[in-house]
Amino acid sequence: MPSPNWGLISRPKLLGIYNSMVSINYATREVTCKIVYYGPGLSGKTTNLIYVHEKVPSSTKGKLISLATEADRTLYFDFLPINIGQVNGFTAKFQLYTVPGQVYYNATRKLVLRGVDGLVFVADSQADKMDENIESLTNLKENLAEYGYDYKNFPIVIQYNKRDLPGAMTVEDLEAKLNPEKWKSFEGEAVKGTGVFDTLKMIIKLVLAKAQTSDSNKSQKLSSTAEAPQPETSSTPSQPVAPVVAPDMEAPEPSASEVEPAPIAAKADPVTVDNPELTREEVYRPEIRQEPGLVDLPDEKENVSNSTDKIKRIQQEVPEMEPVSASNRPFPGSSTAGLSRRERRITVSDFQPTASAPESETHTEQIPDENQEIKNIETNMPKPIMAPSTRVVTKKRGFFKRLFGIK
Amino acid sequence: MSDDNLIIYEEEIEKIDAVLGKMLKGAEAKCALMVDKDGHLITRQGFTHSLDTTALAALLAGSFASTKEIARLVGESEFSVLFHQGKKDHIHMSLVGDRSIMVVIFDDRTTIGMVRLYAKEAAAELGKVFESLANRPAEDNPGIDNEFASSAGDRLDDIFQD
Repeated sequence: MPSPNWGLISRPKLLGIYNSMVSINYATREVTCKIVYYGPGLSGKTTNLIYVHEKVPSSTKGKLISLATEADRTLYFDFLPINIGQVNGFTAKFQLYTVPGQVYYNATRKLVLRGVDGLVFVADSQADKMDENIESLTNLKENLAEYGYDYKNFPIVIQYNKRDLPGAMTVEDLEAKLNPEKWKSFEGEAVKGTGVFDTLKMIIKLVLAKAQTSDSNKSQKLSSTAEAPQPETSSTPSQPVAPVVAPDMEAPEPSASEVEPAPIAAKADPVTVDNPELTREEVYRPEIRQEPGLVDLPDEKENVSNSTDKIKRIQQEVPEMEPVSASNRPFPGSSTAGLSRRERRITVSDFQPTASAPESETHTEQIPDENQEIKNIETNMPKPIMAPSTRVVTKKRGFFKRLFGIK
Repeated sequence: MSDDNLIIYEEEIEKIDAVLGKMLKGAEAKCALMVDKDGHLITRQGFTHSLDTTALAALLAGSFASTKEIARLVGESEFSVLFHQGKKDHIHMSLVGDRSIMVVIFDDRTTIGMVRLYAKEAAAELGKVFESLANRPAEDNPGIDNEFASSAGDRLDDIFQD
């Protein structure tokens, strides 16, 4: 396998570290949750968002952003922020994302799943779309596993969309095939809006409930999450054999098991930090007291007296940047070695009126700025004067000689 | 990182804001955003009133994520600095720590070199702040309580009506 090295580098950051949790900002007093609509292509994920965007009061919603192709297929994601306002002194915000449904967009789909708090799986109820539903669902489980989430304990709601279409299967059949985990499910017609809000309300409630339980079990969770990734990763290498989704899936997994200790070690650190009983204030306040002084004083010094410092720094920075461009130069550089030869040729070829014209054009592109103007003049001048002069003069001489009868 | 939860306290935001403010002043840039890789806006400084920072944060995080995947395909683990050049306004993004992105928006009053210089400095400082934030003992992170979830549930019924 050619690529496991790349997997080695990138995978450990993705593995096991991420657990479902909302983001809480105590400074702005905001709680933010990320909810992703998942499902096969054309199942109505974006339509769900559009309906929500249309119907929700304008004070609570932001702009609906859609990164779509010209044919209105989602290319990267759709994004709709919703702000339900103050709840117990905190502003509750929900960010709704959709993923591109097509199979070959798995790379971008996986990116959108990063840091997800809750999932809505939008399934297409039509009988002939069942295979796509199942494929998308297995893909979802794989992608979740790669981020270290356990789909069995993840807040997921299923929406059986397109109930109005004639080829729709019965809910019982859909449940049997798609929902063995017994997630909450809703029937929907996203175009008309049926079931859209029910689905959204349910997933938000599940996400908040999950956040609640994960907070109360924080200490337990720490130990459980440290152990949890191990069985997952040991099981994942066996998974990609069965589903044939993307070739790049195979590369990361073996590396994942190799580099497994890294995230655990990262997790072990805060536990050790717990033991010396330093309260947060003891640990962080001294820094805060120091920080404003550290921030302000050198800043003023710089502005008042050490303006030369700035210049020095910039001068230091500039040579730092130049070698980068110089190191990028090997290709142009190798051509500049050839350029000097060509320059010499110019002077020779200038006197050969027929050959000079096409070559001089290529030279002017590569010659450094200082010489460029001179060369432009040089190359421009000879062409009109030299070329016609050599030819015309001979003719003229012949012409005048003939005219005046000079021999 | 003890958990995936991003919980930030006021004093930490103040620290981050101070570093960003200092950087903006030095580089003479328009504004700076601190964005989580998940797409959440952490904080912002400078002239951001005319910007839809929520959407901006989500999109910037998205573009950063996609370049990370590009980097992986090329054999690089991650591109730590991104630069978008426009006609008037330009955007400089740099990675801070493991999971945050510092975004600086600037125009032709300053130069990319200045922004790079100060952004590099600020990123190193912010890296320390985020490290201390990540190593914070888990018990100190109170999360959502029961009341919040239930009263949020009540609000949902008011807002989401067909």
